[in-house]
Amino acid sequence: MKTRLLVGSVAAVLAFSGSNALADKANDTLNVAFTKELESVDSYFNSAREGVIFQRSVWDGLLYLNQETGEYEGNLATSWQWVDDTTLELKLREGVKFHNGEEFDADDVVYTVNFVAKPENGVVVQRNVNWMKEAVKVDKYTVRIITNGPFPAAFEYLAGPVSIYPNEYYAEAGPAGMALKPVGTGPYQVESVEPGKHFVLKRYEGYHDSPKGAASIGTVDIRTIPDVNTQLAELFSGGLDFIWGVPADQAEKIAAMGRFTVANESTMRIGYLELDAAGRSGDHPITKAKVRQAIAHAIDRQAIVDSLLKGKSKVVHSACFPTQFGCEQDVTTYDYDPEKAKALLAEAGYPDGFSVDFYAYRDRPYAEAMLSYLAKVGIQANLKYLQYSALRDMRFKGETSMSFQTWGSYSVNDASAITSQFFKHGAEDFARDDEVLAWLNAADTSVDPAVRKENYSEALKKIADQAYWVPLFSYNSNYVFTQDAEFTPTPDEVVRFFQVSWKQ
Amino acid sequence: MLAFALKRLGLAVLVTLTVSLVSFSLLFMSGDPASAIAGENASATDIEAIRTLYGFDRPFLVQYTDWLFSALRGDFGQSYYFKLPVADLIADRLSTTMLLGICGISFALLTAVPLGVAAAVRPNSFIDRLALFLSVMGQAMPSFWFGLVLIVIFSINLGLLPPSGSSSWKNFVMPTVVLGYYAMPAIMRLTRAGMLEVLNADYIRTARAKGASEWRVMFKHALRNAVVPVVSLAAVQMGFMLGGSIVVESIFALHGAGYLAWESIARNDLPTVQALILIFSLFYIVFTFLSDLANAWLDPRIRVG
Amino acid sequence: MPGSIRASGWGEAMARTIETVAEEIRSPSPGAMLRRRIFGHYGLVFGIAVLTIIVLIALFAPLLTSHDPYTQDLMARMKPPFWMAGHDPDHLLGTDHLGRDYLARLLYGARISLAIGAVAALISGLIGTAMGVAAGYFGGKVDLVVTFLINVRLAMPVVLVALAVVAILGGSLEVVIVVLGLLLWDRFAVVMRSSVMQVRDLEYVNAAKAIGCSVPRIVLSEIMPNVLNNLIVVATLEMAHAILLEAALSFLGLGVQPPTPSWGLMISEGKQMMLFEPWLIAIPGVALFILVLAINLLGDGLRDVTAPENRG
Repeated sequence: MKTRLLVGSVAAVLAFSGSNALADKANDTLNVAFTKELESVDSYFNSAREGVIFQRSVWDGLLYLNQETGEYEGNLATSWQWVDDTTLELKLREGVKFHNGEEFDADDVVYTVNFVAKPENGVVVQRNVNWMKEAVKVDKYTVRIITNGPFPAAFEYLAGPVSIYPNEYYAEAGPAGMALKPVGTGPYQVESVEPGKHFVLKRYEGYHDSPKGAASIGTVDIRTIPDVNTQLAELFSGGLDFIWGVPADQAEKIAAMGRFTVANESTMRIGYLELDAAGRSGDHPITKAKVRQAIAHAIDRQAIVDSLLKGKSKVVHSACFPTQFGCEQDVTTYDYDPEKAKALLAEAGYPDGFSVDFYAYRDRPYAEAMLSYLAKVGIQANLKYLQYSALRDMRFKGETSMSFQTWGSYSVNDASAITSQFFKHGAEDFARDDEVLAWLNAADTSVDPAVRKENYSEALKKIADQAYWVPLFSYNSNYVFTQDAEFTPTPDEVVRFFQVSWKQ
Repeated sequence: MLAFALKRLGLAVLVTLTVSLVSFSLLFMSGDPASAIAGENASATDIEAIRTLYGFDRPFLVQYTDWLFSALRGDFGQSYYFKLPVADLIADRLSTTMLLGICGISFALLTAVPLGVAAAVRPNSFIDRLALFLSVMGQAMPSFWFGLVLIVIFSINLGLLPPSGSSSWKNFVMPTVVLGYYAMPAIMRLTRAGMLEVLNADYIRTARAKGASEWRVMFKHALRNAVVPVVSLAAVQMGFMLGGSIVVESIFALHGAGYLAWESIARNDLPTVQALILIFSLFYIVFTFLSDLANAWLDPRIRVG
Repeated sequence: MPGSIRASGWGEAMARTIETVAEEIRSPSPGAMLRRRIFGHYGLVFGIAVLTIIVLIALFAPLLTSHDPYTQDLMARMKPPFWMAGHDPDHLLGTDHLGRDYLARLLYGARISLAIGAVAALISGLIGTAMGVAAGYFGGKVDLVVTFLINVRLAMPVVLVALAVVAILGGSLEVVIVVLGLLLWDRFAVVMRSSVMQVRDLEYVNAAKAIGCSVPRIVLSEIMPNVLNNLIVVATLEMAHAILLEAALSFLGLGVQPPTPSWGLMISEGKQMMLFEPWLIAIPGVALFILVLAINLLGDGLRDVTAPENRG
């Protein structure tokens, strides 16, 4: 009985023509869904994608990265220059006001930077802020940011996660107050916050002349809906206008319905297999380079991309995202070749394969597909699917010999955000290669682009030769929205509500 | 009666303490919460600092008594994830779950008791068969499945009810039905059995023989007696239901305590999970305590012991 | 109410609640009523027949399909089943999201779902029966302790605790079975306790005591045969319960690990596409529904056959 109901109903869905979508355009309200409960909307105290999306709408950074040209433009700063290797001087924009009427000037920058740079204040994503030592006021509209050593990627962060808070308000309200009643300079101001559940944004009429551009839609209503089916049900029944992160198969079906716009864009996230070359988890076959190369040859990454990820996803060969600065593409590649994989396993002394625990924390179907490919060459991989934090604990302790990981680099377009994160002998480094460490140190601390490029290249080539990682594929995201709306997604996976508009 | 009530209360307290100990040790074994607090990008040294700061390196009993005495004062600590007091967080979410639980049990009682009575009064009738069919279905159908089917029919096809959220009464219709349906078979079965038993009892025959109207016999005499075990069962089911609303809340995106529990487990947010297990247990303990008192009052055989 | 509400005091205070649970088991079931009213006398037969078929399917799965449930074909994903347009005759029930034969997964999945139900019921049955029999036979302090433990167990929210434990240990077939087994013993204990109480003072038991039989002997040869019917009824109910709980855990992503084909996992994997390819969850969903229905009908039928005095 149930089957018939479901089948009948879906036919009805497909035949259903959109009639109630107009209502929201009439209210000038964009209804959107977050998948994850945001722990805090204070952008320094969450680490979720949803938090970044919220942050870009409510706050501004000193700089802005133009997504089309790839150039940095001034946002809260109007000009900037390096005084020396560790001192950046910025001129600030005049006449900007926070949502609560507080005037923006050097004091706000100094307060914000000095607050977030102190480790004891507990900013969740330390890497976003710990490159800054302090900020110093020069005059009312001039500040200097002092870095902890040379930091070539500084602009990337000033245009991204470092948002400027109002000093008087933040001193009084603190992170807890900011989480309940956020105040920024951004194109949207926050009307209401129900922690984790529901957020309402209103267009900020006094928005300054920023390269972001003023918001077009009057109200953005954000609800947290964890289940993708429920999100789709809301979309179909007119309760939502815009969702993203829709899995490839569903997106394809929705596109075929013709009622909604489906836009696909790649993201900076890549998936990879992390292999314990250093033997941190004990003595096992994966410590042998030939076995790691066999694993790389065993998995048909192109088929996984074509059938499962689809969209703008691509197979990647280097341990970084291709557009990132320093991401060498001329590295050893491993084609899908099960015979060669078997031969390599035999050479390494495992003609009958071996058994290994395969850890993963997301995208179970991709992991399952890889298990099947590994089984074909004789590697019996047992899936252990854990929560992210549980798996990270095990990796920190060096207990995993093989795990399926992904990394989004926080949309920072520089190899330091990924390769240096994982290959500098930290808790998440399973290669522990001294040569790679030296190259990466050289690349990370130089301000000369040529020197950086060359050193990243050396490091990435060795990583590929040794198959310390098996880089798999880049991710993509599907954005599904009402045909009344216009929106162009960007590769940094940040939904900028202020760039969504109604079709005229 | 008073002695019974006091002993029953003493038992309730003892059970509560044991449950808290069990849940605390269970989660204590789960390993290191420091990493969960630190978030996705912490280094190993960050995590070590947090471990010391929060006192996770202290012995088990010290941590437990510390937690228990704070809990007695209504302080369940800070949520690792939201960085808010757990008590505030739960107070905020509990109202949704309570409302859902009350609606669910009311729905179950309002359908199961009349159906059970009708089935007992008119065995083999259409109503009896309908009741049996509904209850057999309810026993074998997973509630998440039922919920998804309702969404497809009433939200997508008919557009009558919103699939998610908690902004109006309409949002609660489907979750209520799904949750209530879970408790319905047992209540209906018990009502029907109780009514059948009572209707055959001597005093009902006497009442009928004395010419009392059928309605009067049914409601004044029969139902009143048949309802005694149903009260207990409803209390037990209500306790189960609050703990079992996790699936329903996650499907309908109701931000209640059940959903909070599920998310907190996924996030390794131990203070929240501990507090929620304790609170769900407390509900069960309080409901069964009250129902035992109600039963003792309804059924004098129990009070005299 | 059965007459086991004994002398006032702690025992009584504790026994009140759990008697409700026992009452629910002993009261006539919808299956029993259904048997008489809808299927005539065939409810039990239906239950046994369907369950037997499912067991046979599980045992002989390799003979029933030539496909391997683990072989994936990414080029042939989500092929529809035979009653829909565009189906592949080679895949009678279509293929799943990784192009694996759905029929093969369903047939092999019967093994897993049955194993989960049977082994979880066995574990909880051993624990619950031991506790219930001890409480019922010895009474006194033993009964107090057991009754207290049952109360504690009933107060713990099962789904929540199971989720927390599985999340901690990581989902796997063994973990799920053991966790469910350790959580579902309450009804066994409750029912065994009150059943044993009813028979322990009967004449033949007293006679066995008088001639000096050992306690295990009395329990095994005199008491158990007389309470076996109740034990079997609870076992079937708990088996069905365990199967449904595993499905719920799988739905929340914490059940059996892929690629093992459990029906709960198949529903969970098919859920993603439920609005577009509803047959992906309908097929394992219907299978699960039939299995649970059959087990329940079997249990209800057994109760009627073995304990005629309990008919309503």
